[in-house]
Amino acid sequence: MKIMLNGQEREAREGETILEMCRREGIPIPTFCYYQAFGGQGACRMCMVELREEGQEQTRLVAACTYPIKSSVEIITESERIQRLRRTIVMLLARRAPDNPLMEALARTYSSPRLTAIEVEPPNCILCGLCIHACEEMGRTAIWSMFRGIDKRIGTPYDEASEDCIGCAACARICPTQAINLEEEGSTRRIWNKTFELVACQRCGKNYTTREELEYLWERTEYGKEKLCESCRKKTLAINMKSFQQ
Amino acid sequence: MWKELLMSMGGRAMQASINVNSNDRQTVLVCCGTGCTANGGREVFKTFETLLKDHAEIELLPVIKATGCNGWCEKGPLVRLLPRDITYCSVAPEDVSEIIDKTLIEGILIKRLLYRDPVSKEYLSSHHQTDFYRKQHKIALRNIGEIDPGQIDDYIEREGYQALKKALQEMSGQGIINIVQAAGLRGRGGGGFPTGRKWQACKNASGEEKFIICNGDEGDPGAFMDRSILEGDPHTIIEGMILGAYAVGASRGYVYVRDEYDLAVQNLGQAINDARQRGYLGNRILGSDLTFDIEIVRGGGAFVCGEETALIASIEGRTGEPHDKYVFPTEKGLWGMPTVINNVETWANVPVIVLHGAEPFARIGTKNSKGTKVFSLVGKVVNTGLVEVPMGTTLREVIYEIGGGLLKKRSFKAVQTGGPSGGCIPASLLDLPIDFDSLTEAGSMMGSGGLIVMDDHTCMVEVARYYTNFLAGESCGKCTPCREGLRAQLEILNRICDGEGTIEDLDLLEDISVTMQEASLCALGRTAPNPVLSTLRYFREEYLTHIEERRCPAGVCRALTTFYIDPVKCTGCQVCKKHCSVNAIQGEKKEVHVIDESICIRCGECYRQCAFDAVKLRQEELR
Amino acid sequence: MQIEAREYEYANDYKVLIESYSGKPEHLLAIMQDVQKHYNYLPRLAISMISQHVGIPVSRVYAMASFYKAFSLVPKGKFIFRVCDGTACHIKNSATLLDQLQEHLGIEVDETTADGLFSIETVNCLGACALAPVMVVNGKVYGKVSPGDVERIINEYGGQSYASQHKC
Repeated sequence: MKIMLNGQEREAREGETILEMCRREGIPIPTFCYYQAFGGQGACRMCMVELREEGQEQTRLVAACTYPIKSSVEIITESERIQRLRRTIVMLLARRAPDNPLMEALARTYSSPRLTAIEVEPPNCILCGLCIHACEEMGRTAIWSMFRGIDKRIGTPYDEASEDCIGCAACARICPTQAINLEEEGSTRRIWNKTFELVACQRCGKNYTTREELEYLWERTEYGKEKLCESCRKKTLAINMKSFQQ
Repeated sequence: MWKELLMSMGGRAMQASINVNSNDRQTVLVCCGTGCTANGGREVFKTFETLLKDHAEIELLPVIKATGCNGWCEKGPLVRLLPRDITYCSVAPEDVSEIIDKTLIEGILIKRLLYRDPVSKEYLSSHHQTDFYRKQHKIALRNIGEIDPGQIDDYIEREGYQALKKALQEMSGQGIINIVQAAGLRGRGGGGFPTGRKWQACKNASGEEKFIICNGDEGDPGAFMDRSILEGDPHTIIEGMILGAYAVGASRGYVYVRDEYDLAVQNLGQAINDARQRGYLGNRILGSDLTFDIEIVRGGGAFVCGEETALIASIEGRTGEPHDKYVFPTEKGLWGMPTVINNVETWANVPVIVLHGAEPFARIGTKNSKGTKVFSLVGKVVNTGLVEVPMGTTLREVIYEIGGGLLKKRSFKAVQTGGPSGGCIPASLLDLPIDFDSLTEAGSMMGSGGLIVMDDHTCMVEVARYYTNFLAGESCGKCTPCREGLRAQLEILNRICDGEGTIEDLDLLEDISVTMQEASLCALGRTAPNPVLSTLRYFREEYLTHIEERRCPAGVCRALTTFYIDPVKCTGCQVCKKHCSVNAIQGEKKEVHVIDESICIRCGECYRQCAFDAVKLRQEELR
Repeated sequence: MQIEAREYEYANDYKVLIESYSGKPEHLLAIMQDVQKHYNYLPRLAISMISQHVGIPVSRVYAMASFYKAFSLVPKGKFIFRVCDGTACHIKNSATLLDQLQEHLGIEVDETTADGLFSIETVNCLGACALAPVMVVNGKVYGKVSPGDVERIINEYGGQSYASQHKC
């Protein structure tokens, strides 16, 4: 389907979101809460773009990550109006993570004024929600967003160690502001108020995962009961392939 | 005998009620809405029941009915006597035996229980003669106060389920949609979206199953029309929903009711059961091919669940977080199926429109807003309660003619419409005809129909702070502009109310407001800056006084207010002293009183209570 | 999530309440409301049992409990004083009522007295605006309450000792 993107005619697939299309076309749109595997949440509102529907004179603002293209629309991804919104959104979010390099860089990009910092829990969390999705994707859902309104925050029930948490740290790895506290000391890992014993890779000896995650994966997949870190697994796989080919 | 008495009392209004048909069985209607119940309505009802049993001498014992809210809560508990149409106000259980002996048996009116018109000083025998009722036009509230909501036959007697019969016998689903569309009915819940168009979209959408939802999550503080309808006339909602189901082809319906509304849940539950027993709900309704049933869902207590997608999430067993409505619920709603969601008041209009056709309804109202609208008129106004008026009635008519003007004859400052995300409308716009579009233009909105009257003792900055605080706690917190915007605005407003605001704060408020309006995910966030924007637009002076002069002209913001008693005006009546909860006021009777500022908590109760304007704001003097 | 041993005494009672509904997610809200109504809060064990019954992770049930105002995560007092802070009540000075209650009972909003007798809550609107300001104690509605009435209402519920503490 033909659509207009920043004044140029482009081909869009019916039903794909504006963001998906723009990524394909190489048009940058800033996002906090979007991750390809999870789809759009429409939460951070950084990806707002101007949209003009057929027969309409005025444009309206829509979230690129959730708007599905279904007709020949016109899309504008950069304008003064959009810049202004992004400036304010960064201004408001940067207060949650005042010293975070990502937020500092964005504040410079959009010339966002600096407001006084606010204390949030966990510190530096901008509530993009990616960690929740990562945890859910792991099949654990140990964390979720609690409370509502200005008290909303992400955590485990009662802020206590959760039975569902396997310490995989998928949440910490996906966090854009490194807000999730992940402490590793010797052979233990501490995350979300729970301490885990780390397991060493049988090949390189590096501590690479928690016992709980390993057991969980063993249960769920058909992998052999090996303890291999990601890079060693690849190496072993490569060796096996070679021997198979020979 | 009572006729003579009526004549002797005279008065234009009295004549109207002399239409006694001696064959009509006497009926006692006791208002048992939430307001009257709080004032002892249930006890009055029970006393009637008990005492009437002992009157074996009455040939035909009167029927006693507990009705839903009459809307005139100010004068409750209300007792109405039919067929004579007598209304007694503020009835106590102790009055009941007198009412039975004098009025029911002897036919004598009890003057002290009648409403006395404050202007003409006339005693009015029926509430229908009062200004409060006379100027109203009831469609959605047509049965409330007239029937016992627990009796399905009461509803049926007043044209109930006639529209359904008519529809099933003579009309197609499309025919109903056409009528609703032609009537020009728009959603009464806030958005004002054309109901017919919504139904058409749902009818056109394909899905294995379709759903009908009644949104009774009335979360607007200061509005209670949905509660009143659900409590007082539940069958009209049920009939409206069945008609909607027939029109779009839905098989299941849900009524989402606020958990706080116990009585509404109870009455609606009973009504659904009764309707099932009579064959209005269930399989093959009234022998037709229509199959439809309704379930009640008690809301969890979240203002945001008034938003369609959040309400759906809540019914599905999730937290009430909305999502972008680029695909409407009419296409993908509950469990991904086409769903029509309408508000309680909207559903209440449907049976009337279907039964009597589009034209009578479309004749009422303005060009783009047809029919009537129910408002809950509350705040600093003489007659508080529910009022239903044609669209296009002016604010002045509602507040002064129906509402009787401001309490204690204070001066009008603003009326807040549309609930928390509505706006404050100043005196200069009192002649504004109320409809969906005029209110939006004035920077407010219709919302669900709250009309909160404010006098000069109300601080508009504090009002903005109040609503912003409300919304900050009620926002779901999902999207940045709403959550962080409200947080920042609340901080700024708190600063200003504490006397620490700056002029730059006002620019910041406006900047954040624009982002909230344009970028928020749902209607809650997009309208959340309205309280700030409308007060800035009409009452900017008041903000400036807080910031530049560090005083609150209304005497509300405690950090900026000190009270004192003007020795010249003080009569020593002791009213202020009695109302002071911290005993900060000293003074003997008939002697000048003094406020001890070291004890005073600046609640302003004395300031509001003094009838002689003797309690003053210190800042006025300094000026 | 830690569950104290004594909570298991109630396990059967919770079970009866919870299993009166099917395990469909659409009944989650209703189940939680029933438990809340019975116990005035959602006990930890109940949250965990509800989660199992409807097959929704504990974190999400807990999130629901914290999101909706109808639910409490801590036990509430025998008598719950709910002060309406709807707009009509607010402009008729409900804030002073709240101050009075807090001062008399020595607790803040959403807290419970040490003897488990009283809790204070605010509610957005009770829909009884014509009677503003309104306060509700365990379902009984008090309309047009003035700050001076607060002590009397507390006394109605056996709170004399609290009221007298306040007098200085």
